[in-house]
Amino acid sequence: MDTVLEVVDIVTRFGSDTVHDGVSFSIPRGEVVALIGGSGTGKSVLLKEMIGLMRPTSGRVRLLGTDVQGASEDEMNALRRRFGMLFQDGALFSSLSVADNIAVPLREHTSLPESLIAPLVGFKLSLVGLAPDVGKKAPSQLSGGMRKRVALARALALEPEILFLDEPTSGLDPIGARAFDTLVRTLSDSLGLTVFMVTHDLDTILSIIDRVIALSTGKVVANGSVADVRRTEHPWIQEYFSARAAPSGKST
Amino acid sequence: MPASARQPGGQATAPTLELVDENGAAVLYLGGGWRVADSERIADDVARLALAPDATIVLDGSRLAQMDTSAAFTLMSRLPANARFSVRAMGADETRLIELVRSSMRAEPVRAQLKRPGLVQKIGEALVDTAAKLGGHTAFIGEVAVQLLAILRRPSLFRFKETVAQFQSVTVEAVPIVILVTFLIGVVFAYLLGVQAQRYGATIFVVDGVGLAICRELSPILVAVIVAGRSGAAFTAQIGSMKVQEETDAISTLGLSPIQVLVIPRLVAIVVGLPLLVFVGDLAGVGGGVLIGALQLGISPQSFVARLHAVLPLSALVIGIAKAPAFAAFIAMIACRMGMSVARDARSVGEHTTSTVVQSIVWVIVLDAIFAVTLQKLDI
Repeated sequence: MDTVLEVVDIVTRFGSDTVHDGVSFSIPRGEVVALIGGSGTGKSVLLKEMIGLMRPTSGRVRLLGTDVQGASEDEMNALRRRFGMLFQDGALFSSLSVADNIAVPLREHTSLPESLIAPLVGFKLSLVGLAPDVGKKAPSQLSGGMRKRVALARALALEPEILFLDEPTSGLDPIGARAFDTLVRTLSDSLGLTVFMVTHDLDTILSIIDRVIALSTGKVVANGSVADVRRTEHPWIQEYFSARAAPSGKST
Repeated sequence: MPASARQPGGQATAPTLELVDENGAAVLYLGGGWRVADSERIADDVARLALAPDATIVLDGSRLAQMDTSAAFTLMSRLPANARFSVRAMGADETRLIELVRSSMRAEPVRAQLKRPGLVQKIGEALVDTAAKLGGHTAFIGEVAVQLLAILRRPSLFRFKETVAQFQSVTVEAVPIVILVTFLIGVVFAYLLGVQAQRYGATIFVVDGVGLAICRELSPILVAVIVAGRSGAAFTAQIGSMKVQEETDAISTLGLSPIQVLVIPRLVAIVVGLPLLVFVGDLAGVGGGVLIGALQLGISPQSFVARLHAVLPLSALVIGIAKAPAFAAFIAMIACRMGMSVARDARSVGEHTTSTVVQSIVWVIVLDAIFAVTLQKLDI
């Protein structure tokens, strides 16, 4: 298994505040990985550093063989076509229709004619489980779950090798959240897609995740399969998993 | 093997497609890298094969290095619809991918732009929109009036702190720009008037002209336009983004009236503040006149002020300042109303803010014209 993402000794400081104090891990191709950690442990910051939106104080990230911190703007642009990012609220372009939102990466980065883009947009919509007439709507007319699906279709438009998800199930109802989980897992299995997500959702972790990486006090405190991480004797991890383990606490 | 065959970077080989007839079955040997960027070439290649509508098709993946869903979709969507279809020598990943693509095959082409209305439709929409706006404004004025009455009955409802904070930003912080603009207008006006008056040796009448024009017309209009641009826009943007964040709903849920909490402090601040700013503008504008009088026209500051005292009727000053609260009320009502009617998306805040500035400037000028004509008829 080759490594698609390698994070080495990331240190991040904001002023005197140390958010990451030597974070390292690597992700093999094809895995569905969840990054967990309490609030304020810098999960989203780490995600932004991985895709070059923020710069760590020191350390480096190798994404798909490219050194993110050392890459030139051209190399970064080439890299950006090879990963997809799903923002928390979708970040759909509000002035464009759903179909145009999905077509943006195809129009900007390929020379395909419109006669081929339109069927591809329809196909991507169908791939994420949406009806074709959703394409005619404006993003403001969509529900939260649909926005995430459209954003996923846009992130998948250029056939990325790795997909980053920022809290993909937050704001969805449990049914919609599980459906989204299943969709992500199916896509990962069928496309050999590596998925890296920041999540709080224990149900997601227990159902579709191959590897869990837990951040606490600036360091990786656990890294392994869900079962392995669950057994880790770290107070935060124990508390996290027990938040679910005893749902009937007060009943007899 | 299939997964690791995905080369990093974009240097994958071009897709190849070869048709071999094996015992009546059309075997398609797929080779090289099949990627979304090659879709056009794939579509052309498949079209060139001219497969029979009822062919038996076998996809052979033995030479395939890589395939993504878009390329697979383009291939499959160009194959005859009624063909019998199977795959062989595909890696597990590619087989799953083709299954996934087949399950999504019913997809129709989707090419939808948000509709751009034609001319007639635009005119109609603008008309309906304006009517709705006027209706909305009227309803809003009524609502604000009701809330004002409630405050008059129970003064403890009045939010003094918020009003002072708004007053600070609307009035105090606007003083420098008001001084700058009216002073410069005073300078320009006195200078141009002076050039004309000098020809007739009537330079002293510049004082009459500057005093009357600045105090009665220029200062009120200019200051109102500045405040419309500065504070009107700010009101809409503030209230609008609160609306987007559902803060206004939160205020209602807590049993408070958004009008009392958000609108009335702003309304009061601007209605009290604008006349004061106009007075500041009067002083600065006349100050500009004094400067030009002294530098260009040989009128000493003392004689300028003495002449002003003699010729400027108090009514001019009073009318100028008295117009300000009317302008202010219009600006505040338009700005707050536009803020409250923001829809829940980011673009809407920008559109409404622009609309506030345009509407309030237009209304200030319309109001000023009404004042001018009315006061003329009343001989004031």
